Amino acid sequence: MERSKQKQINKNENEADSAINGHFDGRVKIPGWSAAGTPSTAPSSSVMESWREERTRSLEDNEMSLPSIAAAYTTILRGLGEDPQRQGLLKTPRRAATAMQFFTKGYQEKIVDVLNDAIFDEDHDEMVIVKDIDMFSMCEHHLVPIFGRVHIGYLPNKRVLGLSKLARIVEIYSRRLQVQERLTKQIAVAITEALQPAGVGVVVEATHMCMVMRGVQKMNSKTVTSTMLGVFREDPKTRDEFLTLIRS
Amino acid sequence: MEYQKAAELNGLCNGKIVTEYLCRNGFSELTVDTKKVAVQHKHETSRKEAEDESRLPALEAAYSTILRGLGENTDRQGLLKTPLRAAKAMQFLTKGYHETIYDILNDAIFDEDHEELVIVKDIDMFSLCEHHLVPFFGKVHIGYLPSKKVVGLSKLARIVEIYSRRLQVQERLTKQIAMAISEALQPVGVAVVIEAAHMCMVMRGVQKMNSRTVTSAMLGAFREDPKAREEFLALTKSAQ
Repeated sequence: MERSKQKQINKNENEADSAINGHFDGRVKIPGWSAAGTPSTAPSSSVMESWREERTRSLEDNEMSLPSIAAAYTTILRGLGEDPQRQGLLKTPRRAATAMQFFTKGYQEKIVDVLNDAIFDEDHDEMVIVKDIDMFSMCEHHLVPIFGRVHIGYLPNKRVLGLSKLARIVEIYSRRLQVQERLTKQIAVAITEALQPAGVGVVVEATHMCMVMRGVQKMNSKTVTSTMLGVFREDPKTRDEFLTLIRS
Repeated sequence: MEYQKAAELNGLCNGKIVTEYLCRNGFSELTVDTKKVAVQHKHETSRKEAEDESRLPALEAAYSTILRGLGENTDRQGLLKTPLRAAKAMQFLTKGYHETIYDILNDAIFDEDHEELVIVKDIDMFSLCEHHLVPFFGKVHIGYLPSKKVVGLSKLARIVEIYSRRLQVQERLTKQIAMAISEALQPVGVAVVIEAAHMCMVMRGVQKMNSRTVTSAMLGAFREDPKAREEFLALTKSAQ
């Protein structure tokens, strides 16, 4: 029974997932923006809908899949040459499975749930920035942590968002198997679709353990990605102001 | 009995030096005789490098199961080769099981008439928490008071590598490094300090971003003589 339910999940994923956390072709219809120069080409409608009805993993899914994930971790421990029966490792498969589910808890949450209440009408049209949001994610290629900071700025268009909701959006998208470029874009698009602001800027600066702990092993390297939408993309002064304010 | 020896490899660090180096293959049919330990430990490791390749498929299958269990779609482009990459990454992160101290140290011990403190500090260390399989990383500072024998400096960093690239507990890691140097050189004293950030505390659980765990092992003169310890701690703090 567990298998068939998983197959169901997988099936739904095939449609929604390729847009959610897979290929992101970046063409999103932003209502209210002029066609000139903005990326408001043919709507990638699957992105729009799927933003609202994201595949979610439920707490029951978590409980049901825990034994198989724990068994997989036991196999991994043995495959690495360790003894899963020694005292320190006895409950490790379970702990590691629960930890991994926590690191991917972004799949359990929907943007709609997090945001629905906290959009307010304010007559404010100056830049709003929330910076230095600590971010922890998992590299989808090596299953090794990524961590860093996210800086978000937006120019409201009569609608502002509760400040912690920006951090919650970061949490939802970062607690997944991610690629930093996609994470940045997903955050920007989510804010855009929720608020229809005049512009959004997101900068993510992160350290990738897959580069630090293994592979090329460069301890001090950081990867910086940014997404600028709307006014942030068109107007260099706005972008400058944003970038200066997040540096200070 | 085999498992008991494996426990001693990376489990209890009870100060019996010989068992520290007892590395054996967890799955071979060899029964390890305690009398033969002194000979065998120089040549055996609990995981031979040659076997890594043959173990990959099982690890890959396990990682595929994990990805599916998390609700991901294993056929999407970004995840197609992830089980293989993750399995190789995990093998790399636990490559300390391949190596023995004697392999790396045997040549680089020199007779020098030096009896003052030698410190190698700010050695970057990356390890895996054995409880959650999540990284912890930080810096190791090592100091020793030689007794006519000094060791090549990079060998101290290599000792750190061998013991840290395993499923570890920070306390045990500190002690293993100290005991390895002690056993190899018989110095007057050894001091090891490790300061690390544990992702299992930062990324999950209690989620305290800035917490650091510091452990130390002081052997010989560093344990008995407070002035030696002070000198070591003062010299390793100066970078902060």
